[in-house]
Amino acid sequence: MKTDKQKTDYDVMVVGAGVAGMETAASLGDMGYKVLLVEKKSSIGGKAILLSKVFPTLDCASCIVTPKMAAAAHHPNIDVKVYTEVDEIKRNTDGSFAVDMHQKASYVDFDACTGCGQCEEICTITVPDEYNYNLVTRRVAHIPFPQAVPKTAVIDRRGEAPCTFTCPSNVKASGYISLVRAGRYKEAFNLHIENAPLVGSLARACYAPCEEDCTRCGKEETVHIRGIKRFFSDTYYEEHPEPEYGPVEEQLKTKVGIVGSGPAGLSAAFYLARNGHQVTIFEAETQAGGMLRTAIPAYRLPNEIVDRDIKNVTALGVEIKCSARVKSAASLKEQGFDAVFVATGASDERNMGIEGEDLEGVMGCMKFLRETKIGDVPDIKGKTVVVVGGGNSAMDPARSAIRMGAKRVIIMYRRSREEMPAHSWEIEGAIDEGVELMELSNPKSFIGKDGKLESVEFLKMKLGEPDESGRRRPEVIEGSETTLPVDLVVLAIGLKPSTTDFADEIESEWGLLKSDEKTLQTADPAIFAGGDCVTNPTMIVNAIAQGRRAAFYMDKHLKDESLDAPFDTDFLLEKTDKDAVLEESKNFKPRSPVLQPMMPLEERKQTFDCYESVMTEEEARKEAHRCMNCGECSQCMECVNVCPAFCIDFTMSERPRSLTVGSVVLSTGYEVLDPAAKELLGYNRIPDVVDGLQMDRLLAPTRPYNSVLRPSDGKEPESIAIVLCNGSRDHTVCNPLCCRIGCMYSVKHAQLVMGALPLADVTIYYIDIRAFGKGYDEFYEQSKGMGVEFVKGKASRIEQLDNGNMELHYEDMEGEGGLGKREHDLVVLTVGFLPNTEAFGLFKPGELEGDEHQYVREVDPISEPGKTTIDGLFAAGAIIGVRDIPDTVLHAGAAATQAATYLKQTRGE
Amino acid sequence: MSTVKTHMRDMLEIAQDEFIMRGRIRDILKEEPKTILEISEILGYPSREVTIWLFGLRRYGEVEETGRPDVDGYFKYEFVEKKEEEEAHA
Repeated sequence: MKTDKQKTDYDVMVVGAGVAGMETAASLGDMGYKVLLVEKKSSIGGKAILLSKVFPTLDCASCIVTPKMAAAAHHPNIDVKVYTEVDEIKRNTDGSFAVDMHQKASYVDFDACTGCGQCEEICTITVPDEYNYNLVTRRVAHIPFPQAVPKTAVIDRRGEAPCTFTCPSNVKASGYISLVRAGRYKEAFNLHIENAPLVGSLARACYAPCEEDCTRCGKEETVHIRGIKRFFSDTYYEEHPEPEYGPVEEQLKTKVGIVGSGPAGLSAAFYLARNGHQVTIFEAETQAGGMLRTAIPAYRLPNEIVDRDIKNVTALGVEIKCSARVKSAASLKEQGFDAVFVATGASDERNMGIEGEDLEGVMGCMKFLRETKIGDVPDIKGKTVVVVGGGNSAMDPARSAIRMGAKRVIIMYRRSREEMPAHSWEIEGAIDEGVELMELSNPKSFIGKDGKLESVEFLKMKLGEPDESGRRRPEVIEGSETTLPVDLVVLAIGLKPSTTDFADEIESEWGLLKSDEKTLQTADPAIFAGGDCVTNPTMIVNAIAQGRRAAFYMDKHLKDESLDAPFDTDFLLEKTDKDAVLEESKNFKPRSPVLQPMMPLEERKQTFDCYESVMTEEEARKEAHRCMNCGECSQCMECVNVCPAFCIDFTMSERPRSLTVGSVVLSTGYEVLDPAAKELLGYNRIPDVVDGLQMDRLLAPTRPYNSVLRPSDGKEPESIAIVLCNGSRDHTVCNPLCCRIGCMYSVKHAQLVMGALPLADVTIYYIDIRAFGKGYDEFYEQSKGMGVEFVKGKASRIEQLDNGNMELHYEDMEGEGGLGKREHDLVVLTVGFLPNTEAFGLFKPGELEGDEHQYVREVDPISEPGKTTIDGLFAAGAIIGVRDIPDTVLHAGAAATQAATYLKQTRGE
Repeated sequence: MSTVKTHMRDMLEIAQDEFIMRGRIRDILKEEPKTILEISEILGYPSREVTIWLFGLRRYGEVEETGRPDVDGYFKYEFVEKKEEEEAHA
């Protein structure tokens, strides 16, 4: 069967854009074939572009390779796809190939990026620089190397940091932590308000689910994320008593009414106003803030902080009308509001339905906290207070009662402490402050005289089988009635949504308003509902998340845009594998947490002042330094803010592609043996033992240092040892092959070092010198003439001396023989190479055959070089065995010719 | 702290320290140019790690070497005021 040229997307696909791939593509392109050149890294050029010079001519590697890169990139017949991985290749019956591939998400628009490097410079995360073979660091936003083609940045992301992923509003905790670590506090604040505008309130009162999911919990303990937030929010508010911004310039005519000024309503208002809508918030209370103002005790969240947070919203022109209870969303529409957001919260008290609840001295926790917070404080000094309930809302009144001078404060709970829904640290805090826990006890009735509470009659309970919540069900112990004299009972047994006003116009269930889970739109397209009145009482940050979501979809509605649009949470990556991060860092030193300073216990019991102190700048940065950069990129967004071409896009995702090609050439190169496998030679143990590739970087014009320096201390070395055959011709690392190029590139290193450091001594330890190519032996002889000392000897061990230099032990194979040792201040290990076996995984198992060393097998290297065991599939360069650059170029030419011949045959040309 | 034998920390761990250390190195070099060994001595961190952090700063133009190395083969590095430099070019 003949291949139909019209049905193929490309004549040839070349996989791997090193020297062999570029040469093959260029040859085929010159012949007139349409070529797709695929490279998994973000630049073409392979390993050769990172070399210093090439042997034996000592031409600059860049001068040799960059013209090939440019030729491939600009060739009219070649399409280059970088950052793209081939997933599968199948041979079709007509001789063509079906290919599945995907372009990885680079988070940078390659077409728009100018390669200015500003994103890299401002990036706040550093990682080892693999393009300099880990001699230095690079940023996660990076252009791989100066000669990269295309010269565009990419951003490394391996997943969503657990802290960010877990936060209901996806506040980029990893981002603001990295900004604090970098000393950029204002930027940290500004990043936070992109996802939650009530920064000060969250810094003091958020239950911080991010901390519970912190990867650092797997080592010492969580990074104190909320403490870091407290530092930068306090710092920012101190420096900026008023917001730095005003209403946005482009004001729209659309009017939005928001019912409720709690966290959901305020957040929705903030994001709607930032989009230019005219927003009015209606608040039934006399002051804005909802539960933030009325329900969270001042020792945790002072009202000044709530006020400053609200300024973030009102600065945008949002009007807040207090003492303005709205009883109908439809009435707001009638008043001219184009859309309404109902966010009335859930502050209505539940009651127990037992005798005596209406007595004076029995009150709900919301009422108690509200009166405490706004100053109408009940006098309970020297009295006994019982708080009924086991949730966080029971802890707040109990701890408040202690501060108000109660003689005895008891939390009465029908289950045991283990089943309490309150956070353990809240319970511990309450107990520390003197609150008594009365577990397995439940009020039966409240007993009073003349309408005033005098005592509580309660029952003892026992735990039965688990209920639907998974907690063991409390069961009454009959006859266990006991009476406890008491002055005040605070019921903290749960809250219900404040929705009765809207029950007739918005569908509801169990008191909860019903709105679309994604858009928060109700059955009336102009009315949206969110926050605790939809979800039931949760955390502040949950309500903020709802407000932000509502604002997004209300904006769409108001602009007559589709509500099918994805919200930003739809672009979250999968949560980073914490186990992988912990494994990667298993040898890292522990980093002790910085604990937020606390007010002394006795002092704190006397006052509603905040008992948590703010970290100092040094403490905050030290704590931020404990972050493990789980997601690699922290999403601090500094790159987005600075990019002049607006080309960074975190919504980018992997782009799969399927196509058909006439033929395929594999040119995925080779791997480098990790010299650490030769443990006695000290690599990764002694800093001045480097491998050959690192030496090439030290010698390259784009070197990581300012000169040829030793990594341990930046000294120009005086005595350099180059040790050949480390992991090549070596059965101890299962690599019996000669690397074929080590002798010559080591001679190259020696000559280049002598040029760069004329006073340095260079010694090459060798078993035998293989100088078999044209001009190679002359190159070798030339180095001897320059003064390079050649010692025929096998290096056996390298030890670091107390002066930092190294003692190299070797077996002297000529001269006097025996064992010798010499001192050097830099050692270069010329390493072996290994096959790159990735290509085998692209085909059905066994379809592509390898040779006995796992290089791709050439079926007939002499008469048909480059031909593999799959008809129409060819291999070029080091994928079939490591070779030098001239031989690679030759082999690539042969493979290109083979592919061209195949195309002619299958197409009947 | 000098070149004497020290446990080599993982490169990733050292990289994670860079943003904390660069401010300290900048502050040291603002006073006067110093060699890597001298910076290492002041910071109390191994000179290999200082080498990595220092060249992280040099990569983005925040420090540069002064002249030739001393008789022992060590360069001195100085802090570069980037803003001033940009203004000078303007």
